[in-house]
Amino acid sequence: MLNKDISRRNILKTTVAASAVLAAPSVWSSAFAEEQVVNIWTYANFIPKDFVKEFQNETGIRIRNRLVYAQGKQFNLLSAEAGKTTVDIVTIAGHRYRQFIDSELIAPVDVNRLKNWSNLNKVYSDADWTVVNGHKWGVPILSGAEVMAYNTNEVSADEARSWDIMFNEKYAGRSALILQDMFSIIMLYLGYDGNMIKYMDDPVKAAAIVNEARDFLIKHKGKARKYYDAGAEIQQMFINEDIVVGHAWSGSISKLIMDGLDVAMTIPKEGSYGFVYNLNVANNAPNADNAYKLLDALLARPEIGAHMTKESGFISTFNGAAKYLTDLEKKAASFTEEELQNLQFFRADANKMKYDLVDPAVEIVKAA
Amino acid sequence: MLSDMKNQTATTHGAINFWGRLVNNKVYLIITNTLLATNKSRFFILASLPVFWALFAHLGPILKMIDLSFYNAYPLTIGKEMHYTTDNWTHFFKSSVFYIPFLRTIIFSAILTIVTLILVYPVAYFLARHVPKNKQMLYMMLVLIPFWVGEIVRTYAIMILLGNKGLINMVLRYFDLIDRPIPFMYTNFSLGMGIVYLTSLFMLLPLYSALEKIPHSLGEAASDLGAGAWKRFLRITLPLSKDGIASGCILVFLMSTGFYATPVILGGTSSTMFAETIAGFFHVAADRWPVGAAFSVIMLLSTLTISAIFLKLMGRGSKGLL
Repeated sequence: MLNKDISRRNILKTTVAASAVLAAPSVWSSAFAEEQVVNIWTYANFIPKDFVKEFQNETGIRIRNRLVYAQGKQFNLLSAEAGKTTVDIVTIAGHRYRQFIDSELIAPVDVNRLKNWSNLNKVYSDADWTVVNGHKWGVPILSGAEVMAYNTNEVSADEARSWDIMFNEKYAGRSALILQDMFSIIMLYLGYDGNMIKYMDDPVKAAAIVNEARDFLIKHKGKARKYYDAGAEIQQMFINEDIVVGHAWSGSISKLIMDGLDVAMTIPKEGSYGFVYNLNVANNAPNADNAYKLLDALLARPEIGAHMTKESGFISTFNGAAKYLTDLEKKAASFTEEELQNLQFFRADANKMKYDLVDPAVEIVKAA
Repeated sequence: MLSDMKNQTATTHGAINFWGRLVNNKVYLIITNTLLATNKSRFFILASLPVFWALFAHLGPILKMIDLSFYNAYPLTIGKEMHYTTDNWTHFFKSSVFYIPFLRTIIFSAILTIVTLILVYPVAYFLARHVPKNKQMLYMMLVLIPFWVGEIVRTYAIMILLGNKGLINMVLRYFDLIDRPIPFMYTNFSLGMGIVYLTSLFMLLPLYSALEKIPHSLGEAASDLGAGAWKRFLRITLPLSKDGIASGCILVFLMSTGFYATPVILGGTSSTMFAETIAGFFHVAADRWPVGAAFSVIMLLSTLTISAIFLKLMGRGSKGLL
C-alpha cells in the first residue's frame, strides 16, 4: 500500500481534485442561477421583511436582496456584468428607463405571466411612460416625489411654501440637499423646464440654463450644511437636528412623520418632480422564472402594497392599499390637491443631453 | 530522532494515516527532492507565495487600473467600441474642478498628519518611557480597544459625539453654556477629527516601537552632564525616534488621502476630498470609469512622490541631528 506505484486510480483522483479546484469559480458563479433563488437589487425597505419570509416559505425560493441607493450604481453594476448578469430583478425609476433599455440591460416585462397585474392602479400600470419601443418594461411598485422637508418647530408652513427658504440667510447652514436632483428643481425654480425637453433642439440654450443653475448653487453653497446621497442621511440629520430644512425624497420624510418626528414635507409653489420606482427583470436574468413568481406574489394582495408604504414611506401603486394604512400613515405619505398641482413627473426624453451637462456641473459645484 | 518523528507522524495507533502515505508516496518524494535540492530552489519555493500575493493582490489591481485609465469608455454600453486614449489623463489638468479637491486633499492630509503626530507622540512617549515594561502590553491593549471595530462604526461614533444632539452639545446645553447647539458636524473640524481618530493607531505603533528601543541610560547620562528635560528630549529622544515619526507620518498621510467613507459621512459642502471626486466617476450613471481610474493613478503617484520626498528629507535630517 505504502510503496504502491503511481497508479491509474491515483492519477484519476489527482485529476478530479485538480479539476474541482479549477472549476470552483464557475461553480460559485453558477450558484447565482440555482433553481430556487431570486437575486434582487433594491432600495432599503422596498421589499417587506414579512413578505420575504412568507414568499420563501411558500415557494422554497430564497430571495437574495442586495441593497442599492442610487440608479447610477445599478447602471454601472449591470453594465459591468453585461452578458453574464448575476441579478434577476433591479429597481429602476421610470424616468431612467431609457438609459437601461438603450444599453440592453433590462428585458421587457411579459404582463401575461403576471396574473395579478390588474391589481395595479391604472394610473401607474397604463401610464404612457411605461411603454418604450412598444414594450412595457417594469412593474411599478412605489411612487414618490422630490419634496422640501422641514422641522415644524423651527419652520412655519407658510415659510415652506417656497424653495426660497433653502437659500435665505435665516436658515443658512441648516439645510441639506441631493445635488444632482436639485439641479432639476433649481431649473424649475428659475423658470425653466427641469426635464429639459423644451431645449432638446437648442443645446446652446440647454447648456446656458444648466450653467445658470450651477452658478446659483455655487452662490448659495454656504447656505447648505450638507450635500448628501442616501435617504437615511437626511433622516439622521433631521433626527439630530443638524438641519431644519432640506430637499429630500418623499419616502424618507414620510417615514420620519410616521415615526412621530416633528417634520413635515411639501411641494413648494415653484414646483417639483415626481417619480415611480419599478421592479424590472434584468436582461438574461439567470432566474427569470423565479423573478416572475416573485413579482406576481408581490402584486397578489393590497396589504403587501400597504406594507411596502409603511416600510419605505413611498406611496403604493396597488389598488386598495390605502385601506390598510392608518390615518397618520395616509397623511404622512400623501399631498394636498394644491401641492399636487405643483407636481410634474420626471421625463426621460432629454436625459442624455441633460445629464451630460448636469454631471460635470455637479462636480464643479462640489469643488467650488 | 527525525525518523522517530516521521514514524510518529506517519502512524496513528499503529495504522498508517494520510500523512504517512503522503511522505512515502513516490510522486511526492520525487517532487520534494527535486524542488528542495538546492538552497536556491528552497528560496524560490519560500518566496513564491509572498511574491504571488504581492503580484496578484497588490500590483495586479494597480496595473489593471492603469490599463483601464487609457480606455475611451467603460463599462462599454451598446453602440460603443473600446479604443485606447490619453484623454482621461489630460482631463485632470483642463479644469480647476478637479485639481482643487486634489490640492485640498493633499494639504488637508498633510495638516492632519502633523496634528496626529502632535497628539499621539505624548501618548506613545508615555507608554514607551513611563509605563513599567510588564504593564506596557496591557496599556497598549486598552489603547487599541476602539480599533476593534470598523472604520464606519468609529466614524458614526464621532457623529454621536459631535452632532447637534451629540454628547458635547448636550453637556454644553445642560450647563447653560450655549443657547443653540454648536454646528460641529459636516465641517472641516468634524472631518479632521474623524480622520485623526481613525489614523492615530497607525501613528502610535511606529512611534511606540521607536521610543521603546531608546536606552534609558542615554537620558541618564545626559542628565548627569547637566542637560535639562527639554534639552534631553530635543537632543536624544526626538532624533532617535525619527524612524518612528517617518513611518507613522507616511502611514497616516497615505491613509488620509485615500479616505472615502469618512468624508462622505462627516464632511460638509466645502470639504470634498479627491476620493469623493474619483468615486463620482464610478457611481454616476455613465461610462466614465476610465477618468476615475486615471485620477486614482494620479493620486497614487502624487502621494508616493510626496512620501518619497518626505522620507528623503527625514533621512537627511536624522544624519544631521545624529
